[in-house]
Amino acid sequence: MTASAASLVAPSLPVHTWVEIFIRQLAVQASWNYELLLGTGIGFCLEPALRHLTGGREGEAYRAAMARQSAYFNAHPYLTAVAVGSLARAELERAPAGQIERFRTALCGPLGSVGDRLVWAGWLPFCSLLALAAFGLGAGPVAVLLIFLGLYNVGHIGLRIWGLRVGWTHGMRVAAALANPVLRHGPTHIARAAAVLAGVALPLALERIIEPGRALLGGVLLATVVGAALITRLHGRVEGWRIAVGVLAACALYAVVAR
Amino acid sequence: MTPEQLFTVALLGAVIGLDVVSFPQAMISRPIVAATISGLLLGDPAGGLLVGATLELIALETLPVGASRYPEWGSASVVGGALFALRPTPTSGALTMAVLGALATAWVGGWTMYVIRRFNGAIARRWIPTLGLGSGRAVIAIQTAGITADFVRGGLLALLAILTFDPLTRAMVGLWSLDARLSRAVVVAAAAAVAAGAVWKLFHNTPGARWYFAGGLAIGLLLLVIR
Amino acid sequence: MAIDLYRIDDRLIHGQVVVGWGQPLNLGFIALVDDEVAGSEWEQELYRMGVPPDMDVYFATPDEASRLLDQWNEDQRPGILLTGDIDTMRRLIALCPSIKTVNLGGIHHRAGRTLKLRYVYLTPQEEEALRALERSGVVVTAQDVPSARAVPLDDVLRGEAER
Repeated sequence: MTASAASLVAPSLPVHTWVEIFIRQLAVQASWNYELLLGTGIGFCLEPALRHLTGGREGEAYRAAMARQSAYFNAHPYLTAVAVGSLARAELERAPAGQIERFRTALCGPLGSVGDRLVWAGWLPFCSLLALAAFGLGAGPVAVLLIFLGLYNVGHIGLRIWGLRVGWTHGMRVAAALANPVLRHGPTHIARAAAVLAGVALPLALERIIEPGRALLGGVLLATVVGAALITRLHGRVEGWRIAVGVLAACALYAVVAR
Repeated sequence: MTPEQLFTVALLGAVIGLDVVSFPQAMISRPIVAATISGLLLGDPAGGLLVGATLELIALETLPVGASRYPEWGSASVVGGALFALRPTPTSGALTMAVLGALATAWVGGWTMYVIRRFNGAIARRWIPTLGLGSGRAVIAIQTAGITADFVRGGLLALLAILTFDPLTRAMVGLWSLDARLSRAVVVAAAAAVAAGAVWKLFHNTPGARWYFAGGLAIGLLLLVIR
Repeated sequence: MAIDLYRIDDRLIHGQVVVGWGQPLNLGFIALVDDEVAGSEWEQELYRMGVPPDMDVYFATPDEASRLLDQWNEDQRPGILLTGDIDTMRRLIALCPSIKTVNLGGIHHRAGRTLKLRYVYLTPQEEEALRALERSGVVVTAQDVPSARAVPLDDVLRGEAER
């Protein structure tokens, strides 16, 4: 990346533009499709910033930038904020079109991979297991909702705001910012914490759900161990929820046929 | 089931279905949230939470990575919570049928998401020449069409699912012959096996994860004993 | 353990590769074969950010990869070899006839390409290149994530697998 691609003095955008970009960020996947994936969403989020290009909405610069930014794109939805921030800066600094396009393409994979590890395979199961642990410890419906939604969205909203800020601050030099320890090592630490929580939550939650079936606890534990072993052996080939559908459907059928 | 209850399920299915992908992905579409809210609005929050926690255990294994196809847990959990909340007194097959109804809806819901993505693709293809000219209006039109279609999708899915599974559940629960304890035990064993498999799948290649899990399990079992 | 998957995916390193395949395969390294990325330090820096700290990423051109392939296959850890397009994979296989399977993981929409699978769009030239690969004894299947069905090339090209 050449120094000319991203000057150290950032241009500025009014607060209301940032608010609009942030709200649009929440709908970045609204038109997700197999042709452009969330490409149109990136154009949609960047549009308020691009209005500040010379000539405004009717200007040539706006049209050229919108055309570039609405092409194919894929990344984790929360971390598209990084792309939106850095691409907004690159466009407003009038970086060469070819360089912006190449940078945009290169962002897709890493922002997808980091987000999937950090959020889908880390933060989400962590918060989910915490909610299950709270449920197992006897928390009521409102408390469980508040714990899960409150904690999860501190991370979710925080990540989107951080992404916009870091993208805007670093422009096309954002790779260095992605080396942030939270992104590099966060998934491992969150996974370890979630593993602890899984150990705590599973027995507590199961004990609360089982209620009338408590007398059959031994059998349930045995079936759980055998079932889990089967699912892990089939990992990558059959998903556990499909097996659960089969088991529950068979149970329901037996329950009405065996009358 | 009253028209008001039907409307509530459909509207909630639409709003929560939208959260899965389109807007705002705040995870109100997680089963433990969606089923609980559904139960709350239909007068049985504790029942909704019970179904939600069971579905959450099963949903732990689904990672919505990349562009892969996966079950749609949001609208499905609304249906699951409603199916349980709509049974006036807890009966032995109610949880089994609520969870099964939700799983079937999630399965179909995954397919409806695929249909919506194809629909969005058709819209995008039509607008691609205009997008190439840099039209901001085209981008806004495509996003608006997508969000509207997804809202309708979630609402219709929840409505059709509840119209299908509510009478089916009522009939099945009426004919249910399996002992309440065994019925519950089967649901718990199925959910627990999927959850345990999911935990392994999620964390098995994290260094030291098995020891962290074992430590947590010791704490969990201790809490069970001392409570 | 050697390379478990030879994958064509225009997104290169992303969530489906690192999480979707990485977790079940217990992936230790990714070999990214691409002329442009092999010559671009800032792109390499970005792609390295996308993998866990304990996973290695090797960047190479097809020529370099052909010389390194035996070494990668002797690695004790499971690995994935990625190319961003069919032509790069075809060039690599021409240099390394030991590669006998190819996975189509993601070839997305672009002008001139038509829909074959929801994640595979091909031009007529690309279709012919894949057919030529199969004629040379390479088994080509499409599969985005491990839990999905591996779709044989004939079914992919008929475009009926998802309909």
